[in-house]
Amino acid sequence: MKIKQLFRHSETYVLFIVILFSAFVTAINPAFLTLENLFDLLRSSSGTAILAIGIFLVLISGGVDVSCTTIAIVGQYISVNVLIATGFDNIWFAFAISMLLGVTLGAINAVFVSLFKLPTLIVTLGTSSLYHGAMLEFVGTKAVNVGGLPQSIKDFGAFNVLNVSRPDGSTFGLSVFFVILVVIILVTWFILKFTMIGRGIFAIGGNLEAAKRAGFNTRRIQFFVYMYAGLLAGIMGVMHLSLIRYSNPNYLVGTELSVIAAVVLGGARISGGSGTITGTMIGVILITILEKNLIMIGLSSYWQQFFVGLVLLIGVSITYLQAKFQDSGRRIIVKEEE
Amino acid sequence: MAEVFLEARNISKTFVGVKALDNVDLTIGKGEIHCLIGENGSGKSTLIKIIGGVYKADSGIIRIEGTELRGMQAIESIRAGIQIIYQDLSLFPNLTVAENISVNQMLESNQQKVNWKQVRETARKALAEIGEDIPLDERVESLSVAKKQIIAISRALTQNAKLIIMDEATSAITSEEVSHLFSIILKLKQRGIATLFVSHKLSEVFQIAENITVLRDGKLLGVYPSSELDEEKLAYIMTGRMLKFEPYRYDEQMKDPVPLLEVKNLAKAGQYRNINFQLQKGEILGIIGLIGSGRTEVVESIFGIDGADSGSIMVSGKEVHIRNPRDGMRHGIAFLPEDRLTQGLFDVQSIGNNIVITILKSFLKKSRMLDVRKKKQAESEWVEKLSIKTPTPANPANSLSGGNQQRVVLAKWLATDPKIFILDGPTIGIDIGSKHTIHEIIRDLARQGMGIIMISDEAQEILDNCNRILVMSGGRIIREIKDSTTISRDELLDVIAKRVETGADA
Repeated sequence: MKIKQLFRHSETYVLFIVILFSAFVTAINPAFLTLENLFDLLRSSSGTAILAIGIFLVLISGGVDVSCTTIAIVGQYISVNVLIATGFDNIWFAFAISMLLGVTLGAINAVFVSLFKLPTLIVTLGTSSLYHGAMLEFVGTKAVNVGGLPQSIKDFGAFNVLNVSRPDGSTFGLSVFFVILVVIILVTWFILKFTMIGRGIFAIGGNLEAAKRAGFNTRRIQFFVYMYAGLLAGIMGVMHLSLIRYSNPNYLVGTELSVIAAVVLGGARISGGSGTITGTMIGVILITILEKNLIMIGLSSYWQQFFVGLVLLIGVSITYLQAKFQDSGRRIIVKEEE
Repeated sequence: MAEVFLEARNISKTFVGVKALDNVDLTIGKGEIHCLIGENGSGKSTLIKIIGGVYKADSGIIRIEGTELRGMQAIESIRAGIQIIYQDLSLFPNLTVAENISVNQMLESNQQKVNWKQVRETARKALAEIGEDIPLDERVESLSVAKKQIIAISRALTQNAKLIIMDEATSAITSEEVSHLFSIILKLKQRGIATLFVSHKLSEVFQIAENITVLRDGKLLGVYPSSELDEEKLAYIMTGRMLKFEPYRYDEQMKDPVPLLEVKNLAKAGQYRNINFQLQKGEILGIIGLIGSGRTEVVESIFGIDGADSGSIMVSGKEVHIRNPRDGMRHGIAFLPEDRLTQGLFDVQSIGNNIVITILKSFLKKSRMLDVRKKKQAESEWVEKLSIKTPTPANPANSLSGGNQQRVVLAKWLATDPKIFILDGPTIGIDIGSKHTIHEIIRDLARQGMGIIMISDEAQEILDNCNRILVMSGGRIIREIKDSTTISRDELLDVIAKRVETGADA
C-alpha cells in the first residue's frame, strides 16, 4: 500500500530515471560515481536548485515566473560593480545588495500580478525584459573578468566546509554552497508546511476565490511569493558569480526554461497548488546530470536544449495524464457480475 | 413557532437602477429548516448575500437572536453564527480533507503557525458531529461532489454555525446523495442548527422544509408551512402561471417498419456492455440511472465522442461507423451535452455565433467567403423560433439566463436538422418556468418525427416527457419500461436504486 502510494507521485518515476541514468553514466565513466564528482556536482548545481525553489513557490501559488534568472543576473552584476566602485571588498555586502535588489524586483512583479491581476507569465516575461534592458542601459554591458573581481568573491567560491584528501595529498571539498542550499530548503519547507502564509500559498494556488472568502490575505501572500523568489534569485546571482569567477551581464538570461523544466519534472503542477520540495530537488538533479553528461555519452551540446524542451513537455503531459486517469477511474464502476 | 433566530425586515436593495429586493422579510426559527424558493433573478442570492454581510442592504434591518446586525459586514455575520455554503463550495481541491475543514477556524483565530495535530483534531470533531467518516488525508479533488458538500458543512460547524445557508446544494448530486444530505440537515436540526435551503427544485423542498418563503421578481410572495402546499400550488405561486403536465404519448402510427436507430451489443471496456435498444421516429426514449451507471457514456459513443469497442449502430436500417462527432452529425445525430457551459456553449461569443456554428459551411459563397447577411438572417430566425429572450443575437451568450442559454444550445443543434436528438440533462440548473418551455420544445420536435433520447437525473422529468424508459446500472440496461404511464415515480426510483428484482436478461 505504501509502495503503491509512492507510485502515485511522479517524483518516484523521476527518481528512477535519475538512478538508471546515473548507472548508465557510471558504466561508461566510472569517475561519475565518486565523492569528488558528487561534491563538484553539488557545488555547480546548488545555484540552479535555489532558483528552482523560488520558481517552485511561484508555481504552487498558481503562477509562473520567468524573470528569476534575469533578477539573478541583475543582482549579481550590480552588486559586483558596486563592490568594485566603492572598494568595499566584502562578500556579505555583495549578498546584501543582490538580495535587496531581488526582493525589490520581485515586489514589482507582485504589483502587476496582485494589484493589476495580470497573467503571471506575461508579467514576468515583460519585467524580465524591462529589468535586463534597464541594467544594460544604466549600469553597463562590460563583463567583469577574474582579474577585476573582488577577492572576497573569489574566496567565497573556493570556500569548503569539509575537506577530503586525495591519495596524492591534494584536497577537494564540499562547498559552502551546499550549506546555503540546505538552509534554504529547510527554511522554505518550514514556511510551506508550518506557517499560515505557507498554507496560504497552497490555498491560492488551489482556489484563489475560495482563499479570499476564507479570509486569507491573498495580496500579502502573492507579494510574499514573488519577493521570496526574488530574494532567492539575488542569493543565486552572487553564488553564480563566485562559482564561475566572471560576470557577464548576458549570462543566465535564457536558462529559466531548464529551471522551470526541473520543477515541473519534479511533479509540481503547472496549474498550481501541488508539488513538493523533494520532487523539485530530484528534478534539478535529473536536469543537472543530463546537462553535464550528454557530451560525455557522445551527444553534441545542442541536444541539451532539445532535451530540456522535451523534458518540460513530457513532465507537463505526465501530470495531465495522471489527472485524467485518476478522474476516469472514479467515474465508472462496472460491476462484474453475470 | 419556536424561538426566532434570524429576523430580516423590510430588506430592499437596488443595483444600478434595478430593484433586486423590494421590502422583503425573512424569519427563521432556531433549528428550523427553512426553504427560500424562487426562479432565477427572483432575488434569492441577493437576499442571502445580504444576510451573510457580503452586500449591504439599502434599507431594512437584520436581527440575530434579537440583536441587530449594525455593520452588515461578513465578519459580523460569521461571528453571529451564519455560514453560507455557496454552490461552488469554495473548497481547496489540492488540499486535504482535514485542512479544508480547519482552515477557516485557523484564520479566524489569527494564528501564524500551523499545528497539524490540531488541524486533524478539529476536522475529526467536525465530521463526527454529523456522523460522517471521510479519510482526513484524502485530497478534496478526489472526492465526489456530495462528499465535498459534507466537507463544506463540517467547515461551517467549526465556525460555531447556528444557521447554515445552502445555495442550490442539490444541483450537482444524485437523488440518493440528496437523501443523505437531508439526513445531515436533520442531524443539524437536532443540534439546534437551522438550515436555510435555497433551491428551485420543488420536489426536494417538500421533502425537507418546514416553512417556505417564496420570492418573485425581488418581492416577497409569502411564507407558507410546507404542509399547506403541494408542488403544483407552489409552482403556481412561483411562476404565476398554471403549469400542467400531460405525459407524452407516442403515436404508434409514426412507427416505421425499420427503426430510426438500433443499437446492438454495444460495449466498451470498463464503461458499459451488452447495450441493445431501438428508437422509433417520434419517440422520446428516457435513459435513467445513477451517475456512473454508464448512461452518459453510451450516448457519447453513439454520437462519436468516445467510440464503443464493439457492437453495431444502425441508422434507418443501415449500419454506420461513428468514430467522432462529425460522423455522428453526418448521420443525422445531434447531442446536447450534460454540461452546457463547458461543452455546449462558447459563452463569451455572441448568441448568433453560437447558434450557427454547426452550420457555418452552409453560408459559404462561391468565393469561399461567409455570406454575412444570410448568417444574420438565420441567427434571427432561430432566436425567434425558440423565443430566446435577447434584444439582439449579437449579445454574448453569457448575458442570458440558464434557460435561455439552453435554448441557444438547442437551436445550435436543431439548425443541423437532425433525425435523432440526444439530450443529456436538458434542464439541469434551469428554472421551473423555462424548464416547461424546453420540455414543450422537445415534445414538438418528437411530434414532428424526430427521434429523441433524453437522459435525466430527475425521475419525474423522465416520467413526464418520455413514452419509453431504459434504466441503467453498472454499465448495463437493467430494465426497459415500454410504457412510462405504467410505472409510478416511487416504483421507478426503486428500480434505479435496485431495490427490486429487475427483469434484466443478462
